Amino acid sequence: MKPVAFSYHRPRTLDEALALLRSEPDCKVIAGGQSLIPLMNFRLSRPGALVDINEIEGLNRVEKTDGGLRIGALVRHQALAEHPLVREVCPVLAEAAGHVGHWAIRNRGSLGGSLAHADPAAELPAAMVALDARFEVASADGVRQVPARSFFLGYLMTDLAPDELLVAVHVPAQTGRAFGFHEFARRPGDFALAGAFAEVGPGGAGAVTWFGVSGGPERCELTFPEDAAAREAAFAALVEPFDPGQDAPYRRHLAVQAAERAYQQAVGGRG
Amino acid sequence: MTAEMLKPKFTGARVSRLEDARLLRGQARYVDDIAVPGTLEVAFVRSNRAAARIVSIDPSAALRLPGVRAVWTFADCPITIKNRGFQVEQPVLAKDEVRFVGELVAAVFAEDRYTAEDAAELVQVKYEALPPVLDTRAALTDAPRRVHAERPNRFYHKVHETDGFQQAFANAPRKLSLTFRTNRQTGAALETRACLAMPDPASGRLTVYATHQSPHNLRAQLARLLDLPENQVRVVVPEVGGGFGIKAMFYPEYAILADAARKLGRPVKWVSDRTECLLADAHARDAVHELEVAFDETGRILALRDHVYGDAGAYPFLGYSGAVGEAGWATDMLTGPYKIPEVSIEIDCVFSNRAPTGPYRGVGGPIGAQVHEGAVDAVARALGMDPAEVRRVNFIGPQDFPYETPTGGVYDPGSYRESMERALALVDYERFRRQQAEWRKQGRYVGVGMCCFVEPSAFAESEAGSIPYEAASVRMEPNGTVTASFGLGPTGQGHETTMAQLIADQLGIDVRDVVVLHGDTDSAPFGGGTGGSRSGTIGGGAAIRAGQTLRAKLVKMAAHLLEASEEDIELVEGRAQVAGVPARGLTLRELARIAYTDIGRLPEGMTPGLEVLVRYQPPLAATYSNGIHLAVVEVDIRTGLVRVLDYIVVNDCGRLINPMIVEGQIHGGVAQGIGSALLEELRYDGDGQLVTTSLMDYLLPTSHDVPRIRVEHLETPSASEGGFKGMGEGSLIGAPGAIANAVSDALAPFGVFITELPIRPQDIVHWVQTGA
Amino acid sequence: MSEVQTKVRIRLRVNGAEHEVDVEPRWLLSDVLRHQLGLTGTHVGCEQGVCGACTVLVDGRPERSCLMFAVQAEGHEVTTVEGLTPAEGLSPLQAAFQAHHALQCGFCTPGMLVTAEALLRENPNPTEEQVREALSGNVCRCTGYQFIVDAVLAAAREGRS
Repeated sequence: MKPVAFSYHRPRTLDEALALLRSEPDCKVIAGGQSLIPLMNFRLSRPGALVDINEIEGLNRVEKTDGGLRIGALVRHQALAEHPLVREVCPVLAEAAGHVGHWAIRNRGSLGGSLAHADPAAELPAAMVALDARFEVASADGVRQVPARSFFLGYLMTDLAPDELLVAVHVPAQTGRAFGFHEFARRPGDFALAGAFAEVGPGGAGAVTWFGVSGGPERCELTFPEDAAAREAAFAALVEPFDPGQDAPYRRHLAVQAAERAYQQAVGGRG
Repeated sequence: MTAEMLKPKFTGARVSRLEDARLLRGQARYVDDIAVPGTLEVAFVRSNRAAARIVSIDPSAALRLPGVRAVWTFADCPITIKNRGFQVEQPVLAKDEVRFVGELVAAVFAEDRYTAEDAAELVQVKYEALPPVLDTRAALTDAPRRVHAERPNRFYHKVHETDGFQQAFANAPRKLSLTFRTNRQTGAALETRACLAMPDPASGRLTVYATHQSPHNLRAQLARLLDLPENQVRVVVPEVGGGFGIKAMFYPEYAILADAARKLGRPVKWVSDRTECLLADAHARDAVHELEVAFDETGRILALRDHVYGDAGAYPFLGYSGAVGEAGWATDMLTGPYKIPEVSIEIDCVFSNRAPTGPYRGVGGPIGAQVHEGAVDAVARALGMDPAEVRRVNFIGPQDFPYETPTGGVYDPGSYRESMERALALVDYERFRRQQAEWRKQGRYVGVGMCCFVEPSAFAESEAGSIPYEAASVRMEPNGTVTASFGLGPTGQGHETTMAQLIADQLGIDVRDVVVLHGDTDSAPFGGGTGGSRSGTIGGGAAIRAGQTLRAKLVKMAAHLLEASEEDIELVEGRAQVAGVPARGLTLRELARIAYTDIGRLPEGMTPGLEVLVRYQPPLAATYSNGIHLAVVEVDIRTGLVRVLDYIVVNDCGRLINPMIVEGQIHGGVAQGIGSALLEELRYDGDGQLVTTSLMDYLLPTSHDVPRIRVEHLETPSASEGGFKGMGEGSLIGAPGAIANAVSDALAPFGVFITELPIRPQDIVHWVQTGA
Repeated sequence: MSEVQTKVRIRLRVNGAEHEVDVEPRWLLSDVLRHQLGLTGTHVGCEQGVCGACTVLVDGRPERSCLMFAVQAEGHEVTTVEGLTPAEGLSPLQAAFQAHHALQCGFCTPGMLVTAEALLRENPNPTEEQVREALSGNVCRCTGYQFIVDAVLAAAREGRS
């Protein structure tokens, strides 16, 4: 359980990092490494070089902007869960971050890393999709903005090019919509068997964003029926096309339950 | 002797552990903490096929890698483990054929582990696929093929039927049948297996450090396989990070390391990674029990018929097959604490192309208990009786001891009904049943489950071998402190404390003045090691007897020196004194000094020194602990997830040496039982690939999964020295059945009855939805 | 191949002491602590980030030393169980572990201590639920956790008094 050899770079500036990403063949960005290093220890991931962005100034800030929050890619999950601004502006994001792994993992794992890794069972990619976040993606050529809703392309696949770095995310302030979150796992801290974010607007219009039941986050808009049985039927119809792999019927069933509990949380006003 | 003199000061007390300080300070030494200059590190190439012929192995690319010293295949290390009892041979490195995923194929020796793993990847192994044997039923008839060409897959078959079974079964008014299934699990000690072997060029001896439960057993096996005299092999077992049975076995890695140290002339070290552990540490619990229960309208169980199918995996362990061991224990204990007179038992064990099965804490006990407790609850459900009432109808009573079971065991006295009644009082059973009915109306499914168990312990024979005794070597040093040495193999049970408690009480000294050594075959007396819940009872008995022997000598000396009669001498707080006249006394330190260096003052004919070696064998072939686990669980029928709300254990292991340590053992076993019942499962796919190769897939219980456990002790002493009974396994024997029955009880409105472990949430949802 | 394996010299600050060591970039912090610096109190149970035995403090926060390369620790303060241990005797938390029989085989213990120490610094007055949550990423196969939880709660009580 030891990784293969690689070259290691520890740039101090973003420009330096972006230059390395362009010049180094077969290289990968390492931030918290909490998804990458287990894969490297298993030798399932074998990068020839690592560009460590941990020492780059300014990537770990949470700032209030006109439209919401700008959250740096290096913000750790635990910081995201505890940050006063996140809890104020986007409490559902703070709650979801608190469900990532365990304390020691959250202390090191980073928002950008989780998003770039794009594990379909992870909370934060789905949170970004649910919240309609926008990603700041930098390369040596400049910065482009990518909507979260077009960033995730499938199992462990994103819109990120090999020489690009996810620098920050912009989470718009949520007005007029209430959010809720729920996930099921065999043990707290495990990857979710199924999870959901619910967003409920005026007249019950809204959406559910599921995770853990498909190759990536799945957002489905709907008008939430007021009747519980009708709601459940609506969720069931929406999750029917998803392929969660192992134990598919059960996990689709859980997805329905997660959506309902997320919905209840949203309309309970805690979102 | 007055009663006051016999009153133990430490035995039975919650004495803090003497081994804790080094563990807490981070100074304990486990095998991987031992650094020897010049050590080569080993990485293994393991089979990635369940069944295949080896066409070729090409190590040339691996050998070219800088830092690689050797790559071995069977030709370099032609050692074959000959399992005479099972008539199967196992080459330590696969020869011609691989028989399970994880089997050793080649060994790489390199300057460091990183390089060794790089090289292991470069070893080219060509395989020719063979159809794997994965289905137990098919394997019985050698389909699709034999795992070992020279042996039928069904390598073990046993039938036992009591004389009155046929008639009792035929005449029984009621019958039901159930099929219990337990899926593969493993001990998953947190410290992975490890071995460090080194030659001593000066003496020609071989030293092997290993994480193991039985140092002398390991030495004997290594000496035999390497054809060395036992006095040329020194096994040292340093700190061990948990064993749970898996570390009682001999594994081929140890033979390879020992051979390599001698042939390469350098220390060699291997530390298993977690994936290797899950692939190749002893698997356990892979069994099916087809049970038929004959009973009457009062709930009395008249007869049990059990046909057991066990999967041994590709090879038995040296001298021990888990499938045979588990099926044997489960059926030996099939009637549990109940007076069920007639049984018919049939056991079939087969080889398969899965990893070998071996012992895991409780061996067949958890399965046996789940079976008899499931039977009792099924009878209760069939008759509309309360499960506790059915147990009352069937319990072996105090008047029945010694009770000979229909499978040939002889139970010494226990507290079967008493322990259940106590647990029911603790949970306030009647009130719970009323509350349960209320909850059900609200759509909350809460259930209570009981598991009354009998735990055989301190056997004459176990996976520790046929060693029905233990030895204690106790020496009072010239300054009055005591060094004791045992052939035990503790893996966290606290023997350095419990054995010291027993010895200290015999000698009237402080427990902190006793140092307990173990694990080094150069200094420890020959012993069976730790397994089968034998150490407290047999080892503890040896400690007491050795303490008594040493005490007798001290008393004799003191009587002589103080000119008093031996009957009047008491040993108290480090002194030997005349009872009632404490001023007339000598310190033990002074006595010890005299015994070694002033021997002219010894009584005539007394040999110098204060050192004894005593072997103790208990009077019975086994002594039986008992108890009950009572679990309260809530099942979320929407998700199938189960939460344990309350947990009660009433435990009777005879006299307690250290209640705190006993409770720790119970808590840990309950946690493992919750894992067994709800989380832990080693899963193979249809090609024989293990799919649970990390702790992300093989789920161990966390602090969220294990509730607060309420423990009470009853003490029905055994006939063994000190009145102790073994208890290391009972907690894992009782827990899975209790959880299973609690889930059945919670889901009774849906007609669900649990017979398969672990309980999977997807199954619960399915059963509730379909009413199955 | 040989190019990427070149060792680099790094300075590590562990338990308040500076160490200069030559490491391959791929060497895990857990391996370097244990085998280069001889700090074998930190244990390795899975190298998958699951079991928590290798937990150390990095800048005061519990992190997995098996999910971090030693080169990444340069410039940060690493604290292992040895760094939480007084020259003589036991720390209050360690003493509570002994008093409450919060350890059996001892293998998970350093990771538990490191995590619990960080918890108590951050939250000197935790509830049982908070203790269980903080320790939920540290697997213990021996104790069933109850006595560990008791020990942490007791240490918190003593710390307040």
